[in-house]
Amino acid sequence: MDRESLLVATLVELADNLVDDYDLIDVLTLLSLRCVDAVDVDAAGVMLASPTGELQFVAASSESMTVLELFQIQANEGPCVDCFRSGHAITNYALSEADGRWPLFTPRALALSFKAVHSLPMRLRGRTIGALNLFRTHQGQLTDDDVVVAQGLADVATIAILQHRTVKDASALNDQLSNALNSRIVIEQAKGMIRQTTNCDMDEAFNRLRAHARNHNEGLTDLAAHIVDMSMSCKDLDEWAIAKKA
Amino acid sequence: MTEDRLFDIYALMERRGREDSKGSALCAVAEEFLALDGAAIVLASGNSELLSLCTSNHTAGALLDLELTLGEGPAVDASRGDAVGDINLLHATPSNWATYRPEALALGARAVFGFPIRLGAIRFGALSLFRSSPGPLNEEQNSDAYLMASVIGRAILAAQAGSSDEDLVGELSGSSLLDIRVHQAAGMLSVQASMSVKDALVLLRAHAFGLECQLSELANLVVSRATRFDRDSQTWIDGVIDDGDEQ
Repeated sequence: MDRESLLVATLVELADNLVDDYDLIDVLTLLSLRCVDAVDVDAAGVMLASPTGELQFVAASSESMTVLELFQIQANEGPCVDCFRSGHAITNYALSEADGRWPLFTPRALALSFKAVHSLPMRLRGRTIGALNLFRTHQGQLTDDDVVVAQGLADVATIAILQHRTVKDASALNDQLSNALNSRIVIEQAKGMIRQTTNCDMDEAFNRLRAHARNHNEGLTDLAAHIVDMSMSCKDLDEWAIAKKA
Repeated sequence: MTEDRLFDIYALMERRGREDSKGSALCAVAEEFLALDGAAIVLASGNSELLSLCTSNHTAGALLDLELTLGEGPAVDASRGDAVGDINLLHATPSNWATYRPEALALGARAVFGFPIRLGAIRFGALSLFRSSPGPLNEEQNSDAYLMASVIGRAILAAQAGSSDEDLVGELSGSSLLDIRVHQAAGMLSVQASMSVKDALVLLRAHAFGLECQLSELANLVVSRATRFDRDSQTWIDGVIDDGDEQ
C-alpha cells in the first residue's frame, strides 16, 4: 500500500472506531499500532496527564514490559515530559549515552536499540493534555511530512478523548482524564490475574484481553473490570492463537 | 505543581492529626485544603453498602446522614465511579435527587460535589463536599479534589496494611501507586492467594512494610515470579526469576 492509501485507511479505521460507546484505551492502542506503520517508527505510545498534572502511560503499540517501562520512566523525565511541559513537539532527537538530558530514560531506550525519539503534544484549547511518543530503532530522520502525519495522529488521540463523552469544560476534561488513567489501572490488574492464571507473559495477557473484547464486542476496560471482580474467569478468554485470526 | 500541593496536604495532615480525633482528620484536611464548607468520606463495603468514615462538621454530618438514608446524592453517585461536579441545589435538574435536594437546601448547602475514591477496579468509596454558596468549583479546586481523593485512597490502603501514624505521611508521599507493576502484582497475588485485588494490594503493602522495601520493588519480584504467596501455608515463598516478558 502506498503512503497515501495507508493514511486514508488508517484514518477511516480510526473514525470507524470512534463511534458509539468506544473504549478509550482500545482506540488509543489501535492508534499507537497504526502510528508504527503510518510514520515508519518501531514503537509508539500515548501518555496522558492526570488532573493534577502527572504524566501517565495509557496505551502503546507493544505491551512488553520493557517498552512499558520506557513510558513508566517518563512520569519523571524524558521526551514526553519535556514535550508536555513546553507544549512543543520534539522531533528527530538522537539518543546518545553522552547526552545527559535524560539520565534515566536514555540508557533504557538505547538498551532496547532505540536510536531516535519523537514526542508530539496533545493540545486542547491552550492546555496540553498529554503526548504521543514515537521511537525508532534505525537511523534516519522523520521527514516534515512524517511529522505532519504524526501530529495529525496526536490530534486524533485528543479527539478520541474529547469525543468519548461530551467534554465541555475543565472539570469534564479532568473527569475524562481521570477515567482514562483509571482504566489503564483496571487493565493492569486484569493482566496480572491473567498472567497468574494462564501462565503467560504480560504482553500476551493484554493481547488476549483485547482480542476477546474485540471478538465479543465488549469494551476492553469493561472486560478487564469483569475479570477483576471475578464475574468473568480468565480461563474463559478466547485463546490468543484463535483470537489472532479473528 | 503536584508536589507542592501534595506537600500542602501532608502539612495539613500533620497539623490536623494532632488537633483532631483520629477519624475526622482526613475530612478536616479536605475541607481546609479545598476551601469549602464541609467534607465527608464514605467507604463502600463489599456489598456496595456505604458507610461514613468521617465528616468535617455538623452540617457535613447531617448531609451525609440524609444521603445515606435516602440512597441518593453526590457521594452515592461518585462511589459508583463518576465525579459529580457543579450541582446547584437551587436549580432543580429533572429527576436528579428529588428528595435529597430540598432537604440538603434546608440544611444550608447550596452546591455539592462528589469524587470517586478508586484504584482501577477497586472502589473504596467517595469524597463528598459541600459549599453554602452556589457555583461550580474553580479549575484549581477541581484538580485539587482529584488529588485529595487519591491521597485518601492511599491513606485507607495504608491504614488497612497496618502502617503506624508516623509512617503514614512518609508513605503517602511515595508515588508507587502510579507504577503499573504494582497493579499487575496485585492482580497476580489475588489469584495466588484467592482474594480480591483490593485485599491483595493490602497484603502486598503489608509485606513491603515487613521487608522494609519499596512497594514497587516487591511488585517487581512478584511480577518476575521471584516471590509468590502460597495459599496453603499462608506464607511468602521465594522462587526462580523469570523476566515476565518472554518475547
